[in-house]
Amino acid sequence: MFDDLTATQEKHPALLRMGRHLSTVCMLSAGDDDWLVTIHRGRVETVRRGPHVMPSYVFRMVAPARDWQDFLQPVPAPGSHDLMALLRRGVLTFEGNLHPLMSHLLYFKLLLATLRRGAAA
Amino acid sequence: MSVEIENICGRYGQFEIEGVTHRLYWEEAGSGIPLICLHTAGSDGRQYRAVLNDPAVTSQYRVLVFDMPWHGKSSPPAGAEHGTYQLTAAIYQAMVLAFMDGLEIEQPVVMGCSIGGRIVLHLARNYPERFRALIGLQSSPDVPPYYDTEWLHRSDVHGGEICGAIAYGLMAPLSPQAHRDETVWHYMQGGPGIFKGDMHFYKVDGGLTDDDLDHINVTDCPLYFLSGEYDYSGTPADTRVLADRLGVDVIVMEQMGHFPMSENPERFLDYLRPVLEEIASGSS
Repeated sequence: MFDDLTATQEKHPALLRMGRHLSTVCMLSAGDDDWLVTIHRGRVETVRRGPHVMPSYVFRMVAPARDWQDFLQPVPAPGSHDLMALLRRGVLTFEGNLHPLMSHLLYFKLLLATLRRGAAA
Repeated sequence: MSVEIENICGRYGQFEIEGVTHRLYWEEAGSGIPLICLHTAGSDGRQYRAVLNDPAVTSQYRVLVFDMPWHGKSSPPAGAEHGTYQLTAAIYQAMVLAFMDGLEIEQPVVMGCSIGGRIVLHLARNYPERFRALIGLQSSPDVPPYYDTEWLHRSDVHGGEICGAIAYGLMAPLSPQAHRDETVWHYMQGGPGIFKGDMHFYKVDGGLTDDDLDHINVTDCPLYFLSGEYDYSGTPADTRVLADRLGVDVIVMEQMGHFPMSENPERFLDYLRPVLEEIASGSS
């Protein structure tokens, strides 16, 4: 589900500028599946799909696969169109040290939105 | 002259709010029935730029939009200590009444969005005789906390960036990009801790109880609700529960989020104009 982030991030060149002070490792979890995402100075360097052995990360975003799929629709429905919308409905949780996420909240919203089919190139 | 000058006029005045003098900035346009517009938490009156510029509205209404104290061009009152701002239902109501009294405005229509859509409920509850009608955009009786608002004001998180990021997601994905960008920019320009201070009213102090709602009588003062379908803060479902309880209708605005007047002004005006027509004709 998140495997293509290293490629799709190129659709949004501003991400590099927005994330120039962001270096972190986060886990994206969809149901039983996990993706370990390593970001260095705003660039997604690796996305490794699990299963992982002793994964180390700063924070994690967890939602059912169905809700991630709804979020990733080209034009998501109300309640599925934003990370905070998922949070509000209680289907997404943020875990761990949230500082990298909350200090770069728009970065993460826009980064994940690049996975939507038809997202601006 | 090659520049098309808008018919919006900006003014400053000294208003007494709960015994404290505030120098408030407001903009106005048009003539007729006073229509006071209340902006959302952490933003300012620029959100209503299209309403102020709409001839269909300003031909019948004197539209007035003030920046709340600490917001936009209304600076904090003299001597205020930064970091202490916290909006309450009492202060917010006093602010609206002080603006009306200061300008000798009687029987206005008040339209508020989000926190403004909440305060019109308090005004309906406590001062129905003072208003011709009230319009709530994205109104809800309360919003349970779903994120930690401490993130909105920390020395290690840029306030403008986080507030802009929060506002970004509350809009509909297909609202025009330029208007979405401007709406986010207003949030990015808010002072430190101001959005968070407004959230105190929205999520802590400003909720209405069942008893409060029982004391709202829409025959004393007509209430209108308009709600954008993409708003996940004050959802259309929240507004509908409220409206059903009060026995009024909800106009659900498709392809619209939490900031209708700012994120998609033309679409919003299509919904608003008939409401204002109805109020002006006195047929409500």
